[in-house]
Amino acid sequence: MTSDVPARPRWQLPRIDSRERWVGGVAAAVAREIGVQPLVIRAAFAILALAGGWGLLFYGLAWIVLAVAQPDRLAPYRPEPKGASPIHRHIAVGMIVVGLLSVFSQIGFAFFPKIVVPAGFILTGILIAWTRSQDESGVAATARTVIGVVVGLGGLIAFVLVSESFIDSVVVVLVAIVIAAGVGLVAFPSLARIGRELDVERQDRVRADERARVAAHLHDSVLQTLALIQRHADDPARTAQLARQQERELRQWLYGTPATMATRLGPALEAMAAEVDAAHGVPVTVIAVGDTTDVDQGRIEPLVAAAREAAVNAAKHSGASRIDVFAERLPDRIEVFVRDTGQGFDPDAVPADRRGLADSIRARMQRAGGSATVHTSPGAGTEVELVLPLLVDTVEPQQEVSP
Amino acid sequence: MIRVVLVDDHALVRAGVRAELEGHVDLVGEAGDVGEAIDVIVATKPDVVVCDVHLPGGNAPAVIRGVVDRGVTTRFLALSVSDAAEDVIEVIRTGARGYVTKTINGAELLDAVRRINDGDAVFSPRLAGFVLDAFSADLGATGDPELDQLTAREQEVMRLLARGYAYKEIARRLSISTKTVETHASAVLRKLQLSSRNELARWAADRRLL
Repeated sequence: MTSDVPARPRWQLPRIDSRERWVGGVAAAVAREIGVQPLVIRAAFAILALAGGWGLLFYGLAWIVLAVAQPDRLAPYRPEPKGASPIHRHIAVGMIVVGLLSVFSQIGFAFFPKIVVPAGFILTGILIAWTRSQDESGVAATARTVIGVVVGLGGLIAFVLVSESFIDSVVVVLVAIVIAAGVGLVAFPSLARIGRELDVERQDRVRADERARVAAHLHDSVLQTLALIQRHADDPARTAQLARQQERELRQWLYGTPATMATRLGPALEAMAAEVDAAHGVPVTVIAVGDTTDVDQGRIEPLVAAAREAAVNAAKHSGASRIDVFAERLPDRIEVFVRDTGQGFDPDAVPADRRGLADSIRARMQRAGGSATVHTSPGAGTEVELVLPLLVDTVEPQQEVSP
Repeated sequence: MIRVVLVDDHALVRAGVRAELEGHVDLVGEAGDVGEAIDVIVATKPDVVVCDVHLPGGNAPAVIRGVVDRGVTTRFLALSVSDAAEDVIEVIRTGARGYVTKTINGAELLDAVRRINDGDAVFSPRLAGFVLDAFSADLGATGDPELDQLTAREQEVMRLLARGYAYKEIARRLSISTKTVETHASAVLRKLQLSSRNELARWAADRRLL
């Protein structure tokens, strides 16, 4: 699948790794992208934070971008290799910090603490409370939320305290809202685009995974069977049997019943049919009607076992090309019919020592509180009728063999 | 001879069915997808269409609706490997007169085509099982009870069909004529198609969970 590998590595957003974070993991993510130690970036953010709180603002904005994008759900993150040597990278970080500091000194450290410091605190507080990793336990999540709220409230209080007057603080809040709105307007389209691209990437990945899963299954099942069929091409019976077995298996996979349903009568009979087919090479069709979820599994087992004996008997002795099994849940009983269109037999002519099978089916059903009846005559096929009453505990066992 | 159109997206399946029917019916056309099928059926106006349930471009119900929209009257026999109840019930409710699985042998398929041509219904054991299941489930029917329930006789016929009996054998067992068995089967088909139980569709969708 060469189409899955992009020709040129695409730039990816640095991703937040919850294991590496001190506060939000932004410094660690940026450090990994640039290729320096996280401590270097943490120091840079700290210096910028001291310079009128700008570092906190940058940190908060970067955190929002990375948290909203949530790149951790995507394809493996591979930072593009950078051309610069490690020393140059450290120098670059230092130059950026110094450059920013000189810009801030122009704008002023005095006025901005009034907005930047409190706003940074509020922002950071909200983010601490808001973002959580999936592997975080309940206690850690609660602690994080409490710390976040405290930091946020502290920022809000500091906001009011540092203002000389109430009017001032209102003005400052309005200015902050305008700035935030402006930043939002500018940043929103690109954030939305990043989100969309990440979404598309995620869907592609899901599709690729699904395709791989289907391919693996087909390889293990259908392709193996096809290989077997080619090897047995000169044996029509074996080929047909392999095809049926595979069809059953594939059908189960496509429309299958979940494993938890395997105790129900229908799936249990299907499994029985598959075994009889595999062992004796005669296809067994199962039609099951009604729901047996309310029936004790211990009552269903003898029914399935009796049906299996009947089906095996038909497969071995009737000469029929297929066997039909019909099971129906009625309000007060379960009925199972195992029928073949084979040669049938004269029940009275069967020697006593050969009656084992009919007797064992009958005995099994009687132990379970039910009954078994064999309908057959020479040339007319055979049908074994199994009845299991559900509401009554004991029932008059039926003994006769009717034509 | 009965004029038949064969619709299946697998050329191999078409070849197999063609080999089984050839000489017994007049195969006037074949198609491999929904659009092609509608065109071929409208152009040839066959007596019977043997149609795969799953087709590229919209499945058998789309073919049936398309043909009806173009004002052509023909009879459909659905032929499928699918066991999913919702597919089977949908194709019958759209108007197909029968449903058989692809494991059917040549003689049985030919018999089914003739039966469809005569206006009868064709129930494979599996379809009969689905019908019993659908009508026995307590769906809280609110519509016409005549259409929402099977009569005792119809249930008996469906049970014997599900047990794998042919119409002739059923007639013998119930001491009625084969024609009466056919009448019962057609009545069940009509109920399946006209029943006001909207829940039928939901039942079919839930069926795989039972």
